[in-house]
Amino acid sequence: MNLVQIMFYLMAFITLGSALVVAMGKNLVRSIFMFFVTLFGLAGLYVLALADFVAVTQIVIYVGGILVLILFAFMLSGKESLAIAQQHTTPYISLKNLPAFLLAALFLVVMLNVVFNADVNNLPWVKAAIATKNVVPVNGTINNIGVSLMTRYLLPFEVISILLMIALVGAAHLSRKEGAKA
Amino acid sequence: MNFYITYFIVAAGLFAFVGLFTMFGVYAERKVSAFIQHRLGPTETGKYGTLQVLADMLKMVQKELIIPAGADKILFLAAPIIIFIGVYLGFAALPWAPGLIPANINIGLYYIFAIVSIETLGILMAGWGSNNKYSILGAMRSAAQIISYEIPAGFALISVVMIAQTLNLQDIAMQQGILSPDKAKFFGFLDVSQIGGFLSWNVFQAPHLLVAFVIYFIASLAESNRAPFDIPEAESELVAGFHTEFTGLQFALVFLAEYSMMFLVSMVGVILFLGAWNTPLPNMGSVTLATWTTGTVWGIIWILIKTLLLVGVQMWIRWTLPRLRVDQLMNLCWKILTPLAFLCMLISGIWRLWVM
Repeated sequence: MNLVQIMFYLMAFITLGSALVVAMGKNLVRSIFMFFVTLFGLAGLYVLALADFVAVTQIVIYVGGILVLILFAFMLSGKESLAIAQQHTTPYISLKNLPAFLLAALFLVVMLNVVFNADVNNLPWVKAAIATKNVVPVNGTINNIGVSLMTRYLLPFEVISILLMIALVGAAHLSRKEGAKA
Repeated sequence: MNFYITYFIVAAGLFAFVGLFTMFGVYAERKVSAFIQHRLGPTETGKYGTLQVLADMLKMVQKELIIPAGADKILFLAAPIIIFIGVYLGFAALPWAPGLIPANINIGLYYIFAIVSIETLGILMAGWGSNNKYSILGAMRSAAQIISYEIPAGFALISVVMIAQTLNLQDIAMQQGILSPDKAKFFGFLDVSQIGGFLSWNVFQAPHLLVAFVIYFIASLAESNRAPFDIPEAESELVAGFHTEFTGLQFALVFLAEYSMMFLVSMVGVILFLGAWNTPLPNMGSVTLATWTTGTVWGIIWILIKTLLLVGVQMWIRWTLPRLRVDQLMNLCWKILTPLAFLCMLISGIWRLWVM
């Protein structure tokens, strides 16, 4: 095993292990902080896949944004509702867990199917790209991302921005005080 | 394997530097504050109180590690480490001189912007883990403040990146002096590629970046929780904010993080706006000052001088201005700095299209 492989297995272990802790943990706050480790492990995996831009974006958006917002929501909610959520002790095998278990199992089947049928080493589109010399050197990734976002993927990009806008307007509407006419 | 040993040496060197800077910074802060408030500051320990910081460090090392009874032990113990590591990792991508950079990654600026946001998480961790209402209030204030001020800071950075057309910090540094591969133009019309000096710094290449620099500087004060934006640790309201419960080495780590953050944001500001490791002295005819004062050693000297000057300004501001109230803080961020930063970005685009 070379160093990259060792790093890969280490990162994968950290990601999976911490994700398990997140799912099984009884302490909600610790779960959230453990989720941070999961996201960081994922970022490491992205780096190993030579997608450094995606890795950094992952940290900016998830760690710097979403995780902090989750924590905010957590800390602003009342102690009583949190206590109820934490007291929720159900045995691991029960009828309530059945839908979740089914979903997870089916998803696992799908994933395994993809992994075994994909034949990652000779994907046709990768081969076609290499044959037509349509391959981007790793160093140029950000330029290509920028150009692609502004040309080929402009419509999805703008649609996402409209979605965020709607969320913003909705949040502003919900947080406005009743009766105050602005 | 020599490769990896070098990495470890570099990392250790950076850590040593951060520690040294913190010692220097604490002493300087006490002396500067004393000067501004017409006091003497530390005088007893050593000549002019120079050994004061060492004495303080000895004291901190000896202190007992106290974990409050109601605290969440794991979070409480991990928080100072995460706060410090978040800042320390940022140092990996900063260029010190031509060809001298610990990790030359082509998205260096973005990386620093991302890694620094981990500090917020550490602060929230500290606040929650301490199980103390002052700590959690301080942590919430700090997180709200850092998230808000990331927006004007980010747009100020983007307006530089639009001019520089790269996220690689070493390339951005290179563009602002006589080593520039492209043409550097003073105010967009005078070609100063051969003259160099302060004329080719980013703030003078495109004058609106001066505004962007001020926005970035203000926002960076808020991001490092320095006065006038120190409501997270407002001692008259919150005891000491998120680090109320920390003692000894843990407190030292929080302190180390604060001072390294000051240095980090100043250095990023210097790299992006004030010519990085380029000399401020221009070439004048046969007196080629810029060519004489460019090189590895000179680079380190210049960037250190500029960064320390900015750190000095941070201290000066801290001991001059009163603390902002929460609503004033948010007004300043959302109603003044953010629109201005947007404007800077717009001008950057126009500048890039029609002037450069």
